[in-house]
Amino acid sequence: MTILKTDEITMKFGGLTAVKEFNLGINKGEIVALIGPNGAGKTTAFNMITGVYRPTEGKIKFDGEDITGIKPHDITKGGMARTFQNIRLFKDLSVLDNVFIANHLHLKSNIAEATWGKIQPILASPLSVFKSEKSSFLNKLLSRETNYQREEREVNERAHMLLEKVGLVDLKDEKASSLSYGLQRKLEIARALATNPKVLLLDEPAAGMNPKETNDLTEFIREIREDFDLTIFLIEHHMQVVMDISDRIYVLDHGETIAEGDPYDIQNNDRVIQAYLGVAEDA
Amino acid sequence: MKKRNVILNIFSVIILLLFIWYADKNFDSYKIRVLNLCAIYVILGLSMNLINGFTGLFSLGHAGFMAVGAYTTALLTMSPAAKAQTFFLEPIISPLDKITLPFFIALIMGGILSGLVAFLIGAPTLRLKGDYLAIATLGFSEIIRIIFTNTQTITNGPLGLKSIPNSTNLWWSYGMMLFTLAFIIALIKSSYGKAFKAIREDEIAAESMGINLFKHKSMAFVIGAFFAGIGGGLLGNLLGAINPNMFRSILTFNVLLIIVLGGMGSITGTVLSAFVVTAGLEYLRFLDETINLGFIKIPGVAGLRMVVFSALLMIVVIFFRNGLMGNNEFDWDKFFNFFQRKSLRKKEAQES
Amino acid sequence: MILAKLTIQILLGGGSMTFDLLMQYLTNAISLGSLYALIAIGYTMVYGILRLINFAHGEIFMMSLYFAFYGVTLFTLPWYLAFAMAILLTTLLGMVVERAAYKPLRDSPRITIMVSAIGVSFFLQNLAIVLFGGRPSTFPNIKLLTDVIKIGSVSLQKLTLIIPITTLLLLYGLQVLVHKSKTGMAMRAVSKDHETARLMGVDVNKTITITFGIGSVLAAIGGIMWGAKFPAILPTMGVMPGLKCFIAAVIGGIGNITGAVIGGFILGVVEVMLVAYLPSLTGYRDAFAFILLIVILLFKPTGIMGEKISEKV
Repeated sequence: MTILKTDEITMKFGGLTAVKEFNLGINKGEIVALIGPNGAGKTTAFNMITGVYRPTEGKIKFDGEDITGIKPHDITKGGMARTFQNIRLFKDLSVLDNVFIANHLHLKSNIAEATWGKIQPILASPLSVFKSEKSSFLNKLLSRETNYQREEREVNERAHMLLEKVGLVDLKDEKASSLSYGLQRKLEIARALATNPKVLLLDEPAAGMNPKETNDLTEFIREIREDFDLTIFLIEHHMQVVMDISDRIYVLDHGETIAEGDPYDIQNNDRVIQAYLGVAEDA
Repeated sequence: MKKRNVILNIFSVIILLLFIWYADKNFDSYKIRVLNLCAIYVILGLSMNLINGFTGLFSLGHAGFMAVGAYTTALLTMSPAAKAQTFFLEPIISPLDKITLPFFIALIMGGILSGLVAFLIGAPTLRLKGDYLAIATLGFSEIIRIIFTNTQTITNGPLGLKSIPNSTNLWWSYGMMLFTLAFIIALIKSSYGKAFKAIREDEIAAESMGINLFKHKSMAFVIGAFFAGIGGGLLGNLLGAINPNMFRSILTFNVLLIIVLGGMGSITGTVLSAFVVTAGLEYLRFLDETINLGFIKIPGVAGLRMVVFSALLMIVVIFFRNGLMGNNEFDWDKFFNFFQRKSLRKKEAQES
Repeated sequence: MILAKLTIQILLGGGSMTFDLLMQYLTNAISLGSLYALIAIGYTMVYGILRLINFAHGEIFMMSLYFAFYGVTLFTLPWYLAFAMAILLTTLLGMVVERAAYKPLRDSPRITIMVSAIGVSFFLQNLAIVLFGGRPSTFPNIKLLTDVIKIGSVSLQKLTLIIPITTLLLLYGLQVLVHKSKTGMAMRAVSKDHETARLMGVDVNKTITITFGIGSVLAAIGGIMWGAKFPAILPTMGVMPGLKCFIAAVIGGIGNITGAVIGGFILGVVEVMLVAYLPSLTGYRDAFAFILLIVILLFKPTGIMGEKISEKV
């Protein structure tokens, strides 16, 4: 069942065509990779699919619906999340907050309810200290857990679980910028997962990793596909990762699709080998 | 919350209230005025920090929001007699000439109207980035001021409003200050506050995590304007007279300097800075007056106070860039930890 | 030719304005536009090279008038010497401000350096109040400039012609500097990328200081001509023109010198002509600039000559 489909999408910047008539079809549960030399237009394709750019031509269909030109936040609400090539964490905020915020889009409480939910404990605190028996009405008003507080508690629980899964829960109060590079990449993935996506787009998740780290990452991606029932679309230069993990691969060069198929086909495709100038075995 | 912290908080509030009660009864009118101003600038500082410091929106329109609040509150609290007297060039339009409302309601209306203006201004301008947002909001603030200067029948034009009832006393200003403080703290701690911070940190990432940028920026903008309007209303009814010239962009810069000095990501910083700057400015008045040292008299130079103030400001901005508190907030736990560590180190030094 | 005649007919508003009056307004508009253009160039050059809104530029402009004023009244110099000295002092002031208040903050977040600029603006305004007093002073009247001449049936101050001509000459000189000299090339390089320019051997600090210097020279010349045309000078007189000229720079496309000039002229012309045709709106005169600003920011934020800069995602 096709969950993500693009129909001849093209991106032109002035006179430059970055991506030309890209046709993508991803089925539910697949792991599909997008590869190609630097400057081939891969991140541009991602940006079109996630709504950051509006395609000059063509259509994008997600889960049966036309999402061409829809803004990124609505696309994320619809169930598509992403990470970034250059890691865009909320640097000054804590690890926990980074994941917490990614849940905000699912919040049902409005801003007044949320603010009251945080003031209420402050007002209720004197009561808890002095255990006043008389004002039971006040007690009731100020001690009962509000809808927002329940939501916040659930979000915190979920965030903790996600951080445990990526092994970051011990660092939850640290600033995101203080993490090592590898851990920052993991945090970005955890953050994207917190939005509860159906499809996860990863932009060069293995960039800058050593062989052990890339092995862990490959395992990790397989795990999250299982555990979170995901479909994954990734851009990668680490050929080891790509060949290990992908069900299918698309190859872009100078904006054009030069090949599509399973790892075996791609590895033996002359045009692909030529595009990479013979460096097809590892990155 | 830890029991100790709760008790400390309650204790602090009680001390504050006792202090206000004492000051209200015993301080002279000058000191009371300064205390009122401090509280008002806390409100103004917090409201601007919400927009600029926490959401990262480069807004320079605060004076406009203050003007809307000040004029609304003033017009709704002035007696019909006062209005007839003030609007001697052209009478004020009906039904404003007859309406007089209680102070609290007038304040809230000032805030609401200010928020509404912010909503209208925000619609076109919040889509702009960085510096462009700054000058657009500055532009709107000036447009508001110029409109107020020209609408003789509503605002009395360049003459401004006089005989505004002096409703602002220490209870009102500190009461509203505590309310603003509690609201802003709660808002920032909530999921929405975190969304604001996410927008400040990285807009594109925030949007990709599902946050509707325009909706959230508008929220911060409107709420900030609401409290700015209340601050303006309190200010007008403190001074007793307002005119459009008071709400030039310099007023915005005054508040901006307060939040920069305190640390733009810090509520505690803004509170401290508001007190320090307001009181400091008053303290520096002695530079404008003649200093009598008994054996010599140093003549005062009018305006020297502001020169020294701006110079001090420059020094702080250049050498203490993150302001007083940076991004940090006051915390009883951190406070006690600090002293615990200090005494621990002392012990270790003594033992070795 | 027919187009010109038609335009003039329309401008005459079918009898509501005489030809002479129209000429008066037009020449005033062009004069004001030129003055705005000269000051706007300073803003746009500094923004181009530092991405900084130099809020203190209006005060630099104001100081040039006071320098000239004191040159003539206190030091009783002949006007041409006083003016030359004023230009020199203003330029020095501009460069000192850059070194003292902006250079230390070059790596800081943009808002910090902006606050510093606001601080300098405050400081200079208040310093001027302390030194020169808060009451208006009168700029010296130079007969050579303010004498009235007649062209056809229209009587003008010589000044009304001198201002636009001077502006155009200066603009031409500036374009030659920017496009044909090594300094100009350095300025353009630094505007694009500090690091790369530095790696190419450009003395970035010196180039930035020179940019401030040039902006200040133009502001000073504009200031002196302003004083000759509008003799009332005040320490706070730099605030409004400062804001408006920055707006002019934005309208024309911030960072672009030709744009700043176009923006300045548009602003000057709109301001004068709108009041000419709708005198009831005189009170809103200052608001026009801000309204134009909002319109441009909504429809073409990069300005008339501006280029779109997209952020890499």
